[in-house]
Amino acid sequence: MSRNFTRSFVAAVALLVSLGYLRSQSTATSAGSSERALVDRYCVGCHSDKLRTGELTLEKLDLSNPVTHAETWEKVIRKLRTGSMPPQGMPKPDPVAIDKLATYLETSLDKAAMAKANPGRATLHRMNRAEFQNSVRDLLGLEIDAAQLLPPDDESYGFDNNADVLGVSPVLLEQYVNASAKVARLAVGDPNISPVAATYKTRPDLSQLNRMEGMPLGTRGGLLVTHNFPLDAEYTIKMVLARNTVDVIRGLEEVSEVEILIDNARVFLTKIGGKEDTDKVTVNPNAMMAEMATRLTAKVPVTAGPHRVAATFIKKNGAQEDYILQPFLRSTLDPVNEAGLPHLEAMIVAGPYNATGVSATPSRTKIFTCTPKQSSDEVTCAREIFGKLARQAYRRPVNDRDLEPLLSFYQASRNRGGNFDQGIESGIRMILADPQFIYRFEPEPANVPVGSSYRVSDLELASRLSYFLWSSLPDETLLTLAGQSKLRDNAVLEQQVRRMLADPKADALVDNFASQWLFLRNIKNTFPDPQEFPNFDDNLRQDLRKETTMLIGSIFREDRPVLELLDADYTFVNERVARHYGIEGVYGPRFRRVKITDDARRGLLGQASILSVTSHTTRTSPVLRGKWILSNLLGTPPPPPPPNVPALTENTAGATPKSVRERMELHRANPACAVCHKIMDPLGFALENFDATGRWRSTDAGDKIDTSGVLLDGTKVEGPVELRKALLAKPNVFATTFSEKLMTYSLGRGLDYNDMPALRAVVRDAGKQEYKFSSVVMGIVKSVPFQMKQKGGAPVLGAQR
Amino acid sequence: MRFVSKKHLDRRTFLQGAGALVSLPLLDAMLPALTAQTKTAAAGAQRLGFVYIPHGAVMKEFTPAKVGRDYEMSTTLQPLTPFKEYVNVYSNLAHHQADSLGDGSADHARASATFLNGVHPKRTEGEDVRAGTTVDQIAVRKIGQDTRYPSIEIATEDMTALVGACDSGYSCTYMNTISWSSPTTPLPMEINPRVIFERMFGDGGTAEQRAARMQEDRSILDHIVQQVPGLQKELNARDKSRMNDYLDNIREIERRLQVAEKQGGFTMQVPDAPVGVPDNYQEHVALMFDLMALAFQGDVTRVFSFMMAREVSQRSHPFVGVPEPHHSVSHHQDRPENFAKLVKIQTYYVSALAEFLKKLKATPDGDGSLLDHSMILFGSCLSNSNVHNHNPLPVLTAGSAGGKLKTGQHLKFAEATPMANLLVNVLHTVDIAQDSIGDSTGPLAGV
Repeated sequence: MSRNFTRSFVAAVALLVSLGYLRSQSTATSAGSSERALVDRYCVGCHSDKLRTGELTLEKLDLSNPVTHAETWEKVIRKLRTGSMPPQGMPKPDPVAIDKLATYLETSLDKAAMAKANPGRATLHRMNRAEFQNSVRDLLGLEIDAAQLLPPDDESYGFDNNADVLGVSPVLLEQYVNASAKVARLAVGDPNISPVAATYKTRPDLSQLNRMEGMPLGTRGGLLVTHNFPLDAEYTIKMVLARNTVDVIRGLEEVSEVEILIDNARVFLTKIGGKEDTDKVTVNPNAMMAEMATRLTAKVPVTAGPHRVAATFIKKNGAQEDYILQPFLRSTLDPVNEAGLPHLEAMIVAGPYNATGVSATPSRTKIFTCTPKQSSDEVTCAREIFGKLARQAYRRPVNDRDLEPLLSFYQASRNRGGNFDQGIESGIRMILADPQFIYRFEPEPANVPVGSSYRVSDLELASRLSYFLWSSLPDETLLTLAGQSKLRDNAVLEQQVRRMLADPKADALVDNFASQWLFLRNIKNTFPDPQEFPNFDDNLRQDLRKETTMLIGSIFREDRPVLELLDADYTFVNERVARHYGIEGVYGPRFRRVKITDDARRGLLGQASILSVTSHTTRTSPVLRGKWILSNLLGTPPPPPPPNVPALTENTAGATPKSVRERMELHRANPACAVCHKIMDPLGFALENFDATGRWRSTDAGDKIDTSGVLLDGTKVEGPVELRKALLAKPNVFATTFSEKLMTYSLGRGLDYNDMPALRAVVRDAGKQEYKFSSVVMGIVKSVPFQMKQKGGAPVLGAQR
Repeated sequence: MRFVSKKHLDRRTFLQGAGALVSLPLLDAMLPALTAQTKTAAAGAQRLGFVYIPHGAVMKEFTPAKVGRDYEMSTTLQPLTPFKEYVNVYSNLAHHQADSLGDGSADHARASATFLNGVHPKRTEGEDVRAGTTVDQIAVRKIGQDTRYPSIEIATEDMTALVGACDSGYSCTYMNTISWSSPTTPLPMEINPRVIFERMFGDGGTAEQRAARMQEDRSILDHIVQQVPGLQKELNARDKSRMNDYLDNIREIERRLQVAEKQGGFTMQVPDAPVGVPDNYQEHVALMFDLMALAFQGDVTRVFSFMMAREVSQRSHPFVGVPEPHHSVSHHQDRPENFAKLVKIQTYYVSALAEFLKKLKATPDGDGSLLDHSMILFGSCLSNSNVHNHNPLPVLTAGSAGGKLKTGQHLKFAEATPMANLLVNVLHTVDIAQDSIGDSTGPLAGV
């Protein structure tokens, strides 16, 4: 393996200089004496050796040299910066003095960090499921659903790309080995692929009365998927109609037309229902069910490659066909209803049958960059193909020693009677199963003493970058630049980061980073009670998620200040979401950008997706919402509740219902609870105008909603607008939390107090550019933990909080 | 020559026939056919199953009134009546190690982490997770070596849609599994029946194709094993040890392939693969149990652990009349209507277990049935879900463990007897002469 770069102290020192770490620093004058007086006066009353309130004493900690207790002082800084200490009701110094103390501590700790760069640990990283899926896409031009192939990954520190917990087990590795076979077969289009059935299902609460996004005009409901067809062959596409809870197919009373489209062209049309059918059902239900199943199955020839397959109903007219006069938006509310219109439950694509060959699919085009004209060319061509794939898969230049095993797999397959393509397939299998593909190796340089920090190689940096921004492999451009040792050049690095952020692959930051950070993924498992919220259906669930995804995506892509996540004056809606929000004049399933006129809806706190995932099924939860804000926006998660807490009483039938707020107040009467809930609850109360699905309301249980409260720093707020303004009044706090989360994700490990100086540098520099998204990303990419590594590995530290 | 040789069904006909797309009845239908064909060296071998339910139980409805052999099933345990002779109910067992012991209120995380080992899990969110080797994995060392899979771990919930839902201060790992192969190695649980199926029976193709694939698997593993030492050279000690883990696991897969090859000659007809994770929870649970029955029958494994639901699960159970989210209801505040709902959910769990027992009982094995040679431990590591305590626990076993258990009893022990004592008995049923695990004080008497 050729390593055309040098890693040495020279590089490390150069980096430190470039990061401004070796600038001369003015020394603090009185070495903490005035700060000591402040701490003694306002903090030590509770945080003394004797009382140890919150298991913390500041009584004897050396303030002249804070670095000796860096871990404790970092906690103090966080409390001071968020305004949560000293607590409400206790004497407080003026804000200038607090800022001075925090600044003193930060400056001292940052200075110490500059003197000795500490990149923290960088554990050998195993590719997680999402990264495997994207890496396969970029390596082989093949879209796969990795969830069908690999087990899920554990989450730690809020993200499932945490190297420390991405362990292995026989079951897990076996699935990686098995996945390599399946993926290689699909990518090459192995003629021996046996027929399999892929089932696509709709959620039972999907309403299918209207046209779905991406479907032709004049249709309603159904399912649209991109299916990967392995060969040119016949496939059966079978539609399964939804049955009610007593196993009767819904909506057979009238005749309905159902069609199948491939790439928007109709390939099949049939009729179902009407008097003739229903009569037959009455006579012999089983025979008729079987007959209908046959009638709903199409057999169609399809060429190899990904195609958009849709099954949908022809819409007869706009009138609601149901017996209920004022139906709810959710068409599947009544589980025993057999009236109305038929709904599609599933589509099963099975095949290939009678394969005739394999067309040029995106993956074959990507793989077969040469075609052997005669058998003597075959090995040369195989070598070329493997050389190109292995380089990208292993993310480094490859040599003969890398190619030999692949060629021997190729040969073994040929010896078993396989053709050229199947030989290539065997080699690809090996590449995908190879630990050099699955793991991100960062070998340690020999010429650095153990315990010292050094800059990672350009190639390693390329992988760190691509897995951060794309959750995938570096592309050829990055590999080439890294191979030429140009990535270490700051100008080149910046240019590459911008290029990568502009690439659609950067959507991974929304899907994998933001969706986890904000708990957006949980909306999949959010089921508001159908009695309370009869209009909530899967259409709305999908649309709300899409809205938030699009909003975050636009802020990232348009490089807006990250503070706009809190107060963007626009969002993305279709008719369904607009209706949920009471926005008029928006029709159809297509999403469009709209300007927000209702101030309460601005930013994440007005997004129904977030408001839903932080609610219970039957009601809002100011506690969950408050906790969500503290953890995800303010970076100060509350401690866990003490054991044996009595739960909140729910409303009982017959009794006078109480508002959520009334019940919460009761429970805050308990001092053991109040200590945290007086911090959490007011944040949640301010959002009480949004119900458990994020709809606006002005009453709860008949009472006018009281959204007033006092925040932890003493700010009085009433309603979502004031809450948002209060949060934005300390832009540094939200920017710090955002950067901390993004940094955690980028490094694939939890941050600890040693990382705080680097984090502060990111936030400080981003602040000079209005906290634009790219400025945070750039700060992280240039930070010590991202660029450097400690030889021998840094010790594992406990959680910072 | 492989352990699976699939009947040559015309797949087209078959797929059309499977119109209802529910794979469950299919597997059901296959069981008798399999029975007729079973002729394995495993007949009569010991099997163990461990089934976990979250959020404890309403103990007054779970615990039978009378003690001894002459007891009647409680409300919750009613579905087990036909199997009374095979069942033991254990009262007053507790898992003290799941208590806080100074580690805060994360009782849900500790519940699943302590259930099968009696060890207090380390409070951490990082890689330094630490619990105890669980009893199923200790048993595996003795009875798991002759099967392709030493053990199978399964669950029903997609953990990826539960971000931020873990107990505070504890890694999600503690709640995502009940099985640990070493104090630092949690075993992931598979939720997709299709994946389990393919693991057991392969992913289609002809017998020759599968044989070729297996041969290729072997060469791939060989190549990896040869390659790893070179890759380790420039790694630091921690990463080296991570690669050692990796290598150990690769070797384990190799060993399994060898076992599968040795089992050549064993043939059974295999039903078609389930399509994926069913939407319907009942169907999902039944399918998972069916697969475990198949696994026992085909001697694919002799040990499984199954988390029917995860702690803090908010799943609703409308099919038994409880549409409310489980965890919310589990904070019952001592209200009768909430107790009634919880009893419905818990009775459903027990009835799903009973269906599984029925299949084991109907499957001849050696000189009796699979149920005669199995022991299924069923229970939760919470007691009163409202207050998160771990005493007394709802626990029972089903199956005679090859005559090594005196079954058909309701056994009542001294208050707060360590449940780990029962785990010692479990080890004894598979002839492991180990007299302690976790905080056990010795095996339970009279079992």
